[in-house]
Amino acid sequence: MSSPFEDVLASLIRHRGVLGCLVVGEADGLVVDANVQVGVPEHVVAALAAALYRRARLASQAAGLGQVTFLQLEAEGGHICAVGREGLVIVTLAEPRAHIGLIRGAMLASVEALT
Amino acid sequence: MSDEIRRLSDELARDPSSLVFLQLGEALRKSGQLPLAHKVAVRGLERHAHNADAHDLLARIYVDRGDLEQAFDEWDMVVRLAPHHVGAQKGMGYVLYKQGKLEEAEAHLSAAASTDATDASISTALRMVRRLLRYARVAGNGTGAPGPAELEAAQRRVEEEAHFLFADVLGDGEQTALLVNSDGLVTAGAYVTGDGQDVAQEVGSQLSGVRDDAQRAVRHLDLGEWKTLLYETDVATVALAPTMDDSMVLVAASRSMPLGFVRRVLDRCVRRATMWLAEVG
Repeated sequence: MSSPFEDVLASLIRHRGVLGCLVVGEADGLVVDANVQVGVPEHVVAALAAALYRRARLASQAAGLGQVTFLQLEAEGGHICAVGREGLVIVTLAEPRAHIGLIRGAMLASVEALT
Repeated sequence: MSDEIRRLSDELARDPSSLVFLQLGEALRKSGQLPLAHKVAVRGLERHAHNADAHDLLARIYVDRGDLEQAFDEWDMVVRLAPHHVGAQKGMGYVLYKQGKLEEAEAHLSAAASTDATDASISTALRMVRRLLRYARVAGNGTGAPGPAELEAAQRRVEEEAHFLFADVLGDGEQTALLVNSDGLVTAGAYVTGDGQDVAQEVGSQLSGVRDDAQRAVRHLDLGEWKTLLYETDVATVALAPTMDDSMVLVAASRSMPLGFVRRVLDRCVRRATMWLAEVG
C-alpha cells in the first residue's frame, strides 16, 4: 500500500546531501513514512526531531512569537530541518554540504501534503 | 506528593539509617517543600553528623529560605569535613557575593572552578564577580577594598553594559538579542515588546529549553557540536547559537528580515558576547 507522503519524500531525498526524510507524529515521535539511506537510524531521528520541533513550537507560542513554520538545527556533522502542520512533521536529515536554501524551499512547498 | 518523593519516603521509613534522606531532602527542596526538606535534613544529620553532603543539603535549604548566614555556617562545616567540596565552595562564594564581599567570593569561586572546570555555572559566577570587582576597584581608584558606594557603582556599570551589549550590532532594526546562561537566565541584552514590556527573562527561559533538546538531538545522532538553531515563525525569525560557559546567544528578528542577514547578525552577536565574557578570565 502506498503512503500519501511517498511523492513528497521521494522529491526531498533527491536533494544533494540529504540522508533521509521522514513524516513523523509530532506528539509521539513515531515514523509515519520514511525514505532514508541505509544506516540512518530513522526511529531515533524521528523521535529526536519531533521532540525538538514540538519544544520549539511550544516555546515560541509561550514567548509570544507565533507558530513555527520552519526549523533548522546546524551541527558540525549535519543538519536537521523540520516543518510541521496539524500534528505531523516533515523531517530532513542532511550532510553539512547540503544546500539548505533549496531544501527549505522544497520542505515549505511540501507542507501542504500534511493535511 | 510526587511518586519519587513517596518512593524515597517509603525507603527511608524502611531503613531510617539509610543515606536516602539526602535524595529525599533534595527532592522536597526542589519541589518547594522547605519545612519538610529542613526536617528531613536535620533528622538525617542526627544520624550522620559528619556527612558533608548532608550539611550541603541543609545549606541549600537555608539559601532557599533566604537565610544566608546559616547557609554559610553549614557550608563552612562542609569544607571542614571535605575541603575540596565543590558545592560548598560555590555556595560560600554565592553568599559572599550577595553580601558584597567580592574578594572573598572570588577566592571561593576560584577554588570551586579549579576543582571542577566543567561546571559552567561556576565559571559564569566567577566572571561576574571578577567583573564587579574590577569595576569597583576602578570606581574606588584602586585604593583598598571597595566599599558599598563602589560596589553600587560597579553593579550599575555591569547592568548598563549588559543591557546595551548588542545595541550597536543590532542598530535600529526590528531585531533584538539576548545572552542566556546555562541556567536559562538572561545575563545581557534586552527584549522589549511593542508596548514597552521587558520580557527578556520569559523569552530566554522558554527558549533555553529548545537549546537542551538541540543538544540532546546532536548527541544521540553523533552530529558533533551544535552550531546554530534557527526557526521561522509566522511573525519572527529566531536564531540561537552557543557561546562560552554553556551560554547561548538568541537573536529574534522581524520576519521581513532575510534569513541570511539574521545569521550574520547572530554571528556578530556571538562574537560580541564571547569577547565580553572573555574580558574577565
